[in-house]
Amino acid sequence: MAGERGPVVASGVAEQNLVQLRRVSLHALFIAFLSVALLGFGGGIVWARRITVDQRRWLSESDFADIVSLCQFMPGPNVVGIAVCTGAKLRGGVGALAALGGFIIIPWSVGLALGALLLEYAHLPILRNILGGVSAVAAGLLIATGLRLFVPHRRRPVAVIFAVLAFTLMAFTKLPLLAVLFGLVPLSIAASGLEKARLG
Amino acid sequence: MSDHSALISLSAHLALVSSISFGGFPTVLPDVRNFVVAIHGWATDEDFANFFAMVQTIPGPSMILMMSFIGLKVAGFPGAVASAFATFGPPCSIYYVGYRLWDRFRAAPWQEIVRRGLVPVTLGLVVASGTVMARAADGGWQAAALTVIAAVLMLRTRVNPLWILLAGGAFGGFGLL
Repeated sequence: MAGERGPVVASGVAEQNLVQLRRVSLHALFIAFLSVALLGFGGGIVWARRITVDQRRWLSESDFADIVSLCQFMPGPNVVGIAVCTGAKLRGGVGALAALGGFIIIPWSVGLALGALLLEYAHLPILRNILGGVSAVAAGLLIATGLRLFVPHRRRPVAVIFAVLAFTLMAFTKLPLLAVLFGLVPLSIAASGLEKARLG
Repeated sequence: MSDHSALISLSAHLALVSSISFGGFPTVLPDVRNFVVAIHGWATDEDFANFFAMVQTIPGPSMILMMSFIGLKVAGFPGAVASAFATFGPPCSIYYVGYRLWDRFRAAPWQEIVRRGLVPVTLGLVVASGTVMARAADGGWQAAALTVIAAVLMLRTRVNPLWILLAGGAFGGFGLL
């Protein structure tokens, strides 16, 4: 069954993992990802973490980081992937559909109507100014979310090196994402293997 | 080209690029622009930029919405629906299958190694996309300060991020950026 989990391998989060063995209702999944979509200006990942980890406690910090990494390695809009994977983890196939439905149906309909209206006023300076302020904040929230998810790994020199490398290559060079991802990930996994071999 | 064949050709193209949009849909935006604006002339560059700016201001699945606005422009409401499905359908199936596979091998020793290698790289990329967004907005030192303050508030306090976003919008709205 989809709700089943193997042994908890991540360290320091065992107590949090106990919480999510409780059965989550499909309705709750739908509502949670509806909120993620409606709140998620600029970056849904900020809200997905806040709601699934901080508020509902369905996932531990490392479960969430795990899902985010997996989604980054698969094609598509990442937040949609977070919805699908969280739903699948908690309730299997129907859970994935409930989370996806919550994320898409209502927000898409409202967004399409609202957007068609907004397009008429796209040239107004006040709208552009507000947008500027919101996107500056949204950028800050995204940075903070990435940093917070990194906290469990901060004492691993290997992890710090590869995080900084990925950040630098993506933020300061014109290298395409695919090159960064497929260039760094095999090295990072190899380093993680060596690290494990050395520490036992 | 008739609406009908334009709709099919747009959907097919979106389904294809969404299946290879590693790291998120924004990575394939240049390709979509090329297809819609340069090759088919279904929309202008200005339309494209407006769609992009607009989906940042409205909550919701922004890239799915953006593709829907292109679909709307090309073939009306059916175009919007078809574009939405083409954008999220193929990746969702991949996500689901990928997750089930990943979950099945959860207890395998190699998975812990892969995870510990994967996570730092992807989190570096998340922080980088925040930085890239901040730079794309290009709002001078005030906007950069706002970005830093937002990040610190988010890390150090439990304040609801919605308030930080609202404050940022108000800041911009009063012309302080």
